[in-house]
Amino acid sequence: MLLEKQMKLADVIHHDYNLVPVINRFGIVLGFGDGSIESICNNKNIDIDFFLTILNAFHDPQLLDKEFLQSFSARLLIDYLRKTHNYYLAHKIPEIECLIVEMASESSDKKRSYELLQKFFEEYKNELIKHIDREETRVYPYVIELEEAIQNNSVSESLILRSNEYSITSYEEEHDNVEEKLTDLKNIIIKYLPPSKNQKNRFKLLKELTVLEKDLVDHARIEDLILVPKVELLEKSLTNN
Amino acid sequence: MGKTKKVVVVSDAFLLTAGIENLILELSGMLVDHVFDGSEKRLSEKIISKKPEFVIIDPECIKEILIPILRELSEESDIIVIGIVTKVTSQNIVSRFSHTLDKENNKFQLIECLQKIVGNQSDPLEDNEPTISKRETEILQNLALGLTNQEVADKLFLSVHTVMTHRKKITRKLGIKSISGLTVYALLNNIVDIREVERSV
Ligand SMILES: [Fe+2]
Ligand SMILES: [Fe+2]
Repeated sequence: MLLEKQMKLADVIHHDYNLVPVINRFGIVLGFGDGSIESICNNKNIDIDFFLTILNAFHDPQLLDKEFLQSFSARLLIDYLRKTHNYYLAHKIPEIECLIVEMASESSDKKRSYELLQKFFEEYKNELIKHIDREETRVYPYVIELEEAIQNNSVSESLILRSNEYSITSYEEEHDNVEEKLTDLKNIIIKYLPPSKNQKNRFKLLKELTVLEKDLVDHARIEDLILVPKVELLEKSLTNN
Repeated sequence: MGKTKKVVVVSDAFLLTAGIENLILELSGMLVDHVFDGSEKRLSEKIISKKPEFVIIDPECIKEILIPILRELSEESDIIVIGIVTKVTSQNIVSRFSHTLDKENNKFQLIECLQKIVGNQSDPLEDNEPTISKRETEILQNLALGLTNQEVADKLFLSVHTVMTHRKKITRKLGIKSISGLTVYALLNNIVDIREVERSV
């Protein structure tokens, strides 16, 4: 279903509750009342077109409007991407970690298996942190600087130098690795972890991993299909100037 | 129902993609795993990494890179490539696909056609649980101990290429690709001992 601005946000969440963390990134928390998307966005000073486009792309990946999303400023895109990183690092990852620790402590006979899981996840986490850190300290600041320089017509030599150094395309490969490990982990849990009586936490874990996976895929898609082409365009206009 | 079969659809035309998806849903045990999203970078690699049994390609959407992509896909012996064709598609292109679906056919015809293609393929893994062979276990064991492909090859007197082929098969059977994931599997199944792994790190 295509989400539109006159719809009530509450109806949208009824329709797809996976959007809750997405609206959180725009500063909307549950208990937001009975307003339409439009009125809630206006009250919160949210760019409504951007909000809707992001929501639609998350809700149905086939509704990703590439050209339109690329038309928004890099600053706006990056602000959203950064908030998404924060959601992973401050919420999702710790939640999953806690769950695995809890599973390990509860079970005496399967302890060893859970410890293996814990180690695997730890490794995964460090990889993700490294990737995010590189984006936040190198890639994003560079993109914002690039956009500002072009807007203000003040392109410095050092920026041009850096634009030659960076390779924005190495990006995609890292995304594949991040997704791959999550799939591995899910397969281990679904197929290979020796069965235990406590299915409740396992189910929870699987669910959390699936939620994280979907979010990461959406995030990587925005980076690969929106941000990277946008940067390539900016870089092109840099050399044309 | 046997193993689910994965289909990757390579098309950027929404109407066509939606139609194909709709068609595939009619067949039991088929799953549309991924739809081409417009990024042409490393497309064939992306397709292969999804480990599909079938790839359905709309030649129209990847005109310039169609030939190299088909070549790379043809190296994956397990993948069956199906082309979407019409009356006006040039014979040169039609002949490059092992199977084709005619865009102008109706739904029944298309289902029949697809069933034929799907049924023709005999998959030895179909019903029984995939188990890894002795050789594969041996390779898995060494990988879990932290050896590189080259080191495993030297140790077992194999070529690196052979080790890689075995590794691909292991990944396909287990659904685990990363070395750390494979190590967890090896530990859970007592293929290696935790003390050995720790010693080797
Ligand atoms: Fe990111
Ligand atoms: Fe990223």
